[in-house]
Amino acid sequence: MTRDGPDNEHPPPRGTPGWGQFIGDVGRRALEFGRLVRENVELLGLTLRYMVNGRRRRGRIAEQMYDIGNRSMLFIAVTLGFLGMILIFQAGYQAERITGDLQMLGPLFLQLLFREFGPTITALMVATRGGTGMAAQLGTMVVTEQIDALRMSAAQPVDYLVVPRFLASAVMLPVLTVFGILVSFAAGAVTANLAFNVNYYTFVDIGMIESFDIVIGSVKAIAYGLVIPIVACHAGLSVSGGSAGVGRATTDAVVRCSLSVVFLDFLISGIGYVFMAL
Amino acid sequence: MITLHEVGKKWQGEWVLRDVSLEISQGEYIGLIGPGGSGKTLLIKLMTGLVHPDAGTVTVDGQNLADLDARGKEALRFRMGMLFQNFALFDFMTVAENLAFPLRQAGELEEAEIAGRIQTALGEIGLSHAAERYPIELSGGMKKRVSFARAVIRRPPLLFYDDPTAGLDPVTSAKIFQLLTTIRESGDTTAVTAGHDLRGIRRLCDRVAMVGDGSIVHTGTIGEFDDCRREPVASFWEASRAEGWG
Repeated sequence: MTRDGPDNEHPPPRGTPGWGQFIGDVGRRALEFGRLVRENVELLGLTLRYMVNGRRRRGRIAEQMYDIGNRSMLFIAVTLGFLGMILIFQAGYQAERITGDLQMLGPLFLQLLFREFGPTITALMVATRGGTGMAAQLGTMVVTEQIDALRMSAAQPVDYLVVPRFLASAVMLPVLTVFGILVSFAAGAVTANLAFNVNYYTFVDIGMIESFDIVIGSVKAIAYGLVIPIVACHAGLSVSGGSAGVGRATTDAVVRCSLSVVFLDFLISGIGYVFMAL
Repeated sequence: MITLHEVGKKWQGEWVLRDVSLEISQGEYIGLIGPGGSGKTLLIKLMTGLVHPDAGTVTVDGQNLADLDARGKEALRFRMGMLFQNFALFDFMTVAENLAFPLRQAGELEEAEIAGRIQTALGEIGLSHAAERYPIELSGGMKKRVSFARAVIRRPPLLFYDDPTAGLDPVTSAKIFQLLTTIRESGDTTAVTAGHDLRGIRRLCDRVAMVGDGSIVHTGTIGEFDDCRREPVASFWEASRAEGWG
């Protein structure tokens, strides 16, 4: 250290990160979020346009239905099956301690499955398996110039790649939701019978299911089915930076798809209950 | 046929191509040479409309690419074929499906005719036995030949070859250039070939443009390049010869 010169070991404070930087960061992230939303909406618009004007590709849609639907069945069966067992065990344990009445266990669980857990957990699982797959496949196609090769073959990537995934997911997510509800309810029934001696006839009671529950569950399943492929395909098609970029896109896809599902769940439930109250 | 007028392109805020002007006439075969990373592939992507310029205009067949919508570009690309540097074969399709794809997109041929065209193309590139293989099961040279066959299977009048012999051994490189020469001799085509293989480019092209420092530093015939003593052309030409590429 010199008397007059700068002290390299103890440099003068340059101004600690303060409100200015914080507001700047928040603003940047808000702009980034706005850009993401705009791009996803644009991709949705383009997808809807190609659904009307694009080429008919039944084989591609069937392939995607198989990939999103059939290949997710085991995963969804295991996840929703275990969830059904755990929920029924916990709910039954609490109900037994407090009221001792387990008659409503099955009907309430079925209503919860229709309204909430069936569509939402199924969608989260599809986002995890199918969404990441879409992002990784499309991202790899970007970095290996296959998207450019599609364009040079006079094909539109959105028409060829996004539209079949969009349609397949819109059809298969409600189907998978019904499948998930059945598996989860069956697993719950077995658990209730083995753990709490609840009769199967008592458990399988659809008396509490109203048309509202079916409508809200169906709206959720269809909405998730439409949003997941758009968000995942956008993440894949936006890849830059080689294989590291594909990894980032895959992570982005699962995070954004999951957040979209949770946000839609909140939105649709909110709107649904407002309408029900009116 | 293709005109680039004062074209510029930015990458992460920096100009990587600036003030590039070039005219390619119908029936002409032009070679783009230059060191790696000089912008040859970018120039080809600008000419095909895969990348949009940040300055200047690119005109193909009298149509400004900036004025074309997606359908307009699609229509123009029916008249184009491109051999990609890294093959860009569709990895979820077999070799035969890769070749059929551009034909099916055109929608002009019956399935039987498409099958016949694929058989002929596979015979020409010596890969009749590999029709049902996936790209991952092919060697680099085989992938290059399939990529070439896909580029020309629609018999487009405008061809782009991006480093057609990159990473290939001399024997395979010679085969590839033989295929390109056959296409040239078989019809009225125009082609842009980017690459380092000056021996092949000498054989195939009428004219050469050298790309360096983000612009075209010299254009001329092969003879004019031989006689050019201006830097960096002379050093690149000499170095390529010393490496056995010229």
